[in-house]
Amino acid sequence: MKHLSDQELMRIVQAGDFSPASEIYDRYSSRIYNFAYRFLKNSEAAEDATQEVFVKMLKHANQFHGDAKLSTWLFSITANWCRDYLRKADNRSKESDDVLVTLPAPAEHSPERTLEQRENERRIQKALSALTPEQREAILLSRYQGLSYAEIAQISGCSEGAVKTRVFRAMETLKKALGGEASGGERCLNAI
Amino acid sequence: MSECDLMRESMPLLLTESLDPAQRELTHQHIESCAACGDEWLGFRETWTFLGSLPEVEPRAELRTRFLASIGENVTPFAPAKSRRYMRWLAQAAAVVIIAGSSYFAGHYRAPIRIEPTPASVSRYSIAESRVLPAAAVSPDIEGRPNIENVSFIDANPDDPDIGLSFDVTSHVTVTGRPTDKSMVRLLRYVLENENKVSPSRSRAIDWVRTMYSKPGNTDPEIAEALANVLRNDSHEGVRIKAVETLNRMPGSDSADTRQALMQALKSDPNPAVRIKAVEALVNLARSGVPFDAATLDTLRQKAVQGNENVYVRVKAAEALSSIHP
Repeated sequence: MKHLSDQELMRIVQAGDFSPASEIYDRYSSRIYNFAYRFLKNSEAAEDATQEVFVKMLKHANQFHGDAKLSTWLFSITANWCRDYLRKADNRSKESDDVLVTLPAPAEHSPERTLEQRENERRIQKALSALTPEQREAILLSRYQGLSYAEIAQISGCSEGAVKTRVFRAMETLKKALGGEASGGERCLNAI
Repeated sequence: MSECDLMRESMPLLLTESLDPAQRELTHQHIESCAACGDEWLGFRETWTFLGSLPEVEPRAELRTRFLASIGENVTPFAPAKSRRYMRWLAQAAAVVIIAGSSYFAGHYRAPIRIEPTPASVSRYSIAESRVLPAAAVSPDIEGRPNIENVSFIDANPDDPDIGLSFDVTSHVTVTGRPTDKSMVRLLRYVLENENKVSPSRSRAIDWVRTMYSKPGNTDPEIAEALANVLRNDSHEGVRIKAVETLNRMPGSDSADTRQALMQALKSDPNPAVRIKAVEALVNLARSGVPFDAATLDTLRQKAVQGNENVYVRVKAAEALSSIHP
């Protein structure tokens, strides 16, 4: 299966054969999980999202058009799931600070370096949380998933112009929030 | 919009190298000639780089197993596209027949419409069957280990002491009653303790339990026991953290079983955040009048000096000891 393209794998799934499921999962689960985790700031919800996305991919495989990129389609399903999740009022309060939960404690680093890494992550995650969900979605897809504005527009159901504005506004907010690290922070930049 | 505004809006595209060569050149020229935009560009670039220090997190291996296990259980191969097209054709044909029949009926029928009573012998089924059961009508002993899905919690009216728990078994069921009703407590316990039998979210269940059972008069030792079991057994660290936080704050969570679960978490939970929370909960227990026993003190002392322990856990344990025995 490894030598087959995404489109070829999906054609097999569309014919009713789910054997490529594990290969597709291995290709995309990490990206889907990371996006959901950074969007929702909740590892358990990110796991639920990841599971749901791949189940939906199988159940609704016929809705996938061969001319589209599989990653774009999967991120569309993920973003929808995450938006629904946040829309439910009771989940807003569930956005929790469980940064420590998933951060590995790399044994090879000194405690100071680990502390600095954790602090950086906490600050970035806090700054991301201060964005509107639309801005957060756009910046996560652009910065961490490397998607083009056209792809993000397709995922978010808006124009490319709107994506451009969202990313710009997000960057403005992040620049202010992380100002201590980014502009005055030779130390932090050197540490990267 | 000024030229500077236009250039600044293009800066994120410059970062991702998505501008076409002509625009890129134009933007760079502007940045070099405009000090304010030059500063802005520097800030953008540093922020963008700093954002890159966010590490990638790996989903747990169990998630893969869970997904692959769900194939065949919950996900079955659908009809291939060919037969779906056939079904659509059939549906369209049926629609034509219905429309034609309805038009004839509307044009020719004059008699008043009468609804014939359904013969008593014919059972009626609703495809949207949903049952509401009072907790008193449900046995508190849950037989077998049923899979229950789509669990949701209801407390629509804060003035009404009743709460509700809604879920899918073979049909959609809602059980309503007082938080103290044994059947309600047992159902919640089942939801909390059976990670593999219940979906979707235990942490949502814990949030709800915390709200409901922190109210005066609602405390129940079985709920605290269930949370202690979650802390001991749940495979998800986020859920274990929620459990220990709730035990820390919920009235009535001061039993020996709770303390034992906290001690066990401090000694052997693989996640340092859970161990830190366990120390905090133990300190709170001590402050609320349940003093550290010898075993707890020993464990805290051991943790405070254990060389291979996470530095934050060591500090937390040392702080706990000094706060109780300054």
